[in-house]
Amino acid sequence: MNTPDKKNMKHECPHQQECLQLLQSILDGEATTEQKDRFMGHHLEECMPCYQNYHLEVAIRDLLKKKCSNEAPQDLVDSIKQKVIQNLSK
Amino acid sequence: MEEEFIKNNYTDAQKQEIFDKEFMPQINAMYNFAYRLTLERDDAKDLLQDTYLKAYRFIDSFQQGTNAKAWLFRILKNSFINDYRKKSKEPAKVDYQEVETYYNSEEVDRQITPDLRVESLGNMIGDEISNALNALDVDFRTVIILCDLEGFKYEEMAKILDIPIGTVRSRLHRARNLLKEKLSEYAKSMGYKTA
Repeated sequence: MNTPDKKNMKHECPHQQECLQLLQSILDGEATTEQKDRFMGHHLEECMPCYQNYHLEVAIRDLLKKKCSNEAPQDLVDSIKQKVIQNLSK
Repeated sequence: MEEEFIKNNYTDAQKQEIFDKEFMPQINAMYNFAYRLTLERDDAKDLLQDTYLKAYRFIDSFQQGTNAKAWLFRILKNSFINDYRKKSKEPAKVDYQEVETYYNSEEVDRQITPDLRVESLGNMIGDEISNALNALDVDFRTVIILCDLEGFKYEEMAKILDIPIGTVRSRLHRARNLLKEKLSEYAKSMGYKTA
């Protein structure tokens, strides 16, 4: 995607919900190459609402990854390993 | 999953190797899933431990070379539904089917156009997104975790959750709309400009 010229972009998208669903399947790696090229290469450069949605979707995913992961406490990891070893020796 | 019907006869050494090399590397992702489902640290610990011991007990039905992460996530999700959801402290849930029908109606798509901007997300440096995620109904929370945090494909999610791919897709779309709605409420309450 090139950086679009904002002055020439549409400010309303008649298919915004459909576009959002397509955008999500693209970001999820579930769209075809053709769908992806058409949307990322053409539509995003001319449609402001979809261009904004794209950046919002990416930002939310980044924030989720950064803020919503918790590591297992080490004592729990050790205790699970221990229990399995005990099981093996039975 | 079809691999459940295959029975292997692993030796103790093979079992230990599968456990160490395939199951243990998933423990942080699994703990996070357990925590996001139960929303209680103690319950998450119990759920994780139960799941790993169960995985070990049924290790002969795990086919080496297949996706261990998806296999483990499915066991964890089933244990959660069977053993934890019942005793969960959350108030009685609305019938899920009803919720899904509601959120699948076209009307909701028109209503939900969350007014959220990238700039206000930049200010959410605390627990806002984590709280927003935790505030979603568990079925919506689950698909976001599986897809956006763990990177499962729709097909894998369908197997983990025992639902059709079409339902994965639509549930994910609703879940993301609901998450944006929550984030947009936070943004407003914090006084950020949303429009």
